[in-house]
Amino acid sequence: MADEVSLDARNPETLLRRFEPVVRFTKGEWFYPMDTQPYVRACSLWVSHPDEEAVCVVPAGHLALERLAQQPEDSADAVHYLKIPPPKEGGKRRFWARLLRRRGHDGPDWPRETFRAGRGRLARVGYVSRLADALFSLTLLARGRVPGGDVEGARVLYGRLMEREEHYGYHGRVVRQDGWIVLQYWLFYAFNDWRSNFFGANDHEADWEKVFVYLSESESGEMRPEWVAYAAHEETGDDLRRRWDDPELEKIGEHPVVYVCAGSHASRYSPGEYLTELEFPLPRAIAAVRRVARSFWYKTLRQYSDEYSAEKPYELFTIPFVDYGRGDGLSVGPGQDREWDPPRLMMDPLPTWVSGYRGLWGLYARDPFEGEDAPAGPMYYRDKTISQEWYDPVGWAGLDKVPNRTEELGVILIRQAELETRCTRLRSEIQEKSARLKALGTEAEATRDRSHLRKLHESQKRQIKELSREVETLRADLSNDEVLHESLEEHAERLRSGERPPARAHIAHAARPVSEAENRAGRMAQLWASISVAVVLLTLIGIFHYQRQHLLSALVFAIAVFAFVEASFRRRVTRFIGSVNIGLAMVGALVLLQHFFWQIIFLTVLSVGLYILWDNLREFGR
Amino acid sequence: MYRQTRLLGVLLILQVVALVGFGAYLFFTIDWDRIMALANEGEITVPKSMEHQVEQAILFAIFFLPPAVLLLLAGFGFLLLRRRGWLLASVAQGLTLLACLFYYPDPRPGFTYPIIAYCILMVLYLNSQGVRVVFHSKGMTPVSRGPETTRGG
Repeated sequence: MADEVSLDARNPETLLRRFEPVVRFTKGEWFYPMDTQPYVRACSLWVSHPDEEAVCVVPAGHLALERLAQQPEDSADAVHYLKIPPPKEGGKRRFWARLLRRRGHDGPDWPRETFRAGRGRLARVGYVSRLADALFSLTLLARGRVPGGDVEGARVLYGRLMEREEHYGYHGRVVRQDGWIVLQYWLFYAFNDWRSNFFGANDHEADWEKVFVYLSESESGEMRPEWVAYAAHEETGDDLRRRWDDPELEKIGEHPVVYVCAGSHASRYSPGEYLTELEFPLPRAIAAVRRVARSFWYKTLRQYSDEYSAEKPYELFTIPFVDYGRGDGLSVGPGQDREWDPPRLMMDPLPTWVSGYRGLWGLYARDPFEGEDAPAGPMYYRDKTISQEWYDPVGWAGLDKVPNRTEELGVILIRQAELETRCTRLRSEIQEKSARLKALGTEAEATRDRSHLRKLHESQKRQIKELSREVETLRADLSNDEVLHESLEEHAERLRSGERPPARAHIAHAARPVSEAENRAGRMAQLWASISVAVVLLTLIGIFHYQRQHLLSALVFAIAVFAFVEASFRRRVTRFIGSVNIGLAMVGALVLLQHFFWQIIFLTVLSVGLYILWDNLREFGR
Repeated sequence: MYRQTRLLGVLLILQVVALVGFGAYLFFTIDWDRIMALANEGEITVPKSMEHQVEQAILFAIFFLPPAVLLLLAGFGFLLLRRRGWLLASVAQGLTLLACLFYYPDPRPGFTYPIIAYCILMVLYLNSQGVRVVFHSKGMTPVSRGPETTRGG
């Protein structure tokens, strides 16, 4: 648990304001970070028990942050959740407005800007992903999901609040953990409308996102920013964080810049459109076969692997969604279009709405995948356990193994001292055991070829074998420790001279926006992407119905035509031709194998035999 | 770097020579004198075996002449222009394999098997890392940033 220590002279609010982020949104965003108080006041509180209708325990307008922790009618399996009041406008108009992706005329004039999608997400991926996407959409009919009217309810609620007076706020917390001072900026949004308004994977009422800044304190007491971590979907670990001097991290003064994706509110370091993919892992056996085949193909046969195939080996089994983090809309932060309100602190003392309310902050849709259920508060996961971001913000971003700049030389010295002690111990142990080994060797030499000492000699040989192995291990350990000590010394030297390790060495898979070249696609390509799955399915049905006598050739022809059309639209004709050739080469190899099986075996054995003969003769000739 | 392309050029021209050789063999095994004599005698039909030979030779020309032309162009492209012709060579290998695998049903004529084997090796070579890197290497374009912000430390 992070030891939450009062920062004495360093006022948490001052620290938070000093490094507060500049948040840039996409044009057409509906919901911005807000204070929780007006949201909670407008919501009703509900409780759901398994196999029972949910019950409203506090009606809308009677709730306040301070009362949230009371959680009436609690029981073992109860789920408490807030609910945004439904809009009062006529349902029919809302339906058509939703269908045409236009907001109704009633209610507040919100949002003030319109979103333009640009190139459709389906134009960026292949047929299988499009088919998987269609199936995913169908599953929404069976799964629990947020009703379509809820986003309208949230729009009306949020729009009215913003019409009254615009506020942009975050919730702050400052903690010390493992030598780090972590500034936590918790951003609360009234609604995640990624699916409804931005063609994304899910919708849910309420959304909690976070940006953490990690500071170290120098010996003179100066606060130094070293790392930042932005939350994006459910990602955790090393890939989340960037070092303060990383060229990818944009800053305005001491304020890190965050690009917030439209609807999903995922936070990104660079502006652009991100292809977020839901991945469906292959069954283990198939994945193993695929791995072996790929290794043979790329490593043994040294076949070409372009950037695309290297990065997305499992592209066939993903569903694409675009995260629009363009940063071309409103900018909130110091010196920007809008400024932050003073933060609502979640510390000293910890507010009861944070620690006491374990329910959800919006509708509980009973979605088995939880994508449509509202999130819990900053301190908890949906299952009411304490979230890692709260109790271990350093480990959440993978910083638990990284000493800060004030500590790192000290850590190296301590480790070097440990290694020196260990090396001394190992050396004396090796000396002692080597002496014993030599003595045993001499004894074994003396007892060799003496029939009456046969058993003793055997025992000595066993001991020698064991002791040799031990000495070998000790020498290997000593060698490793000496090399490590030397490496630490060099590392310390580099640090002393002001050199820093590479800023991005810890990142395994950095989320990157889709390139401009990938974004370019004509309207025909987008139209094709929208209709292709249906056309393919209809064609297949047509072939099965009308071309049964030439089923195989008709299917091969149709698949080839569709693949070519797709490759042309996606500017991958070269890749397509390469793939077709590889497929044909495989069929050709099978044909040859079938016709010349024994000849191939004979030739292979003959080649191996000749090679061995040549190799041996070469050795003989030297 | 250009050793690969020269080697490819030579291999492709060798393939053309082999295809032309097979074609020439098919045409020269036909007894054209006898066909001309039959034609002079006013015979409308030719013997079945001869008809099959002529048909095979003509089909060979139809199926393998376009890829042979492409291979020749690609081969000279590799030898003279260094980095041109990968797509032509690939299309030609694909067309040749298609003809050998799908047009000739069982029993396939004997000459198709060495062509298939050669094409397989050429497809693998054309798709190998060393060759593809020579033909598809592209430069990276840096992304421009707004002037008011700073990046890094």
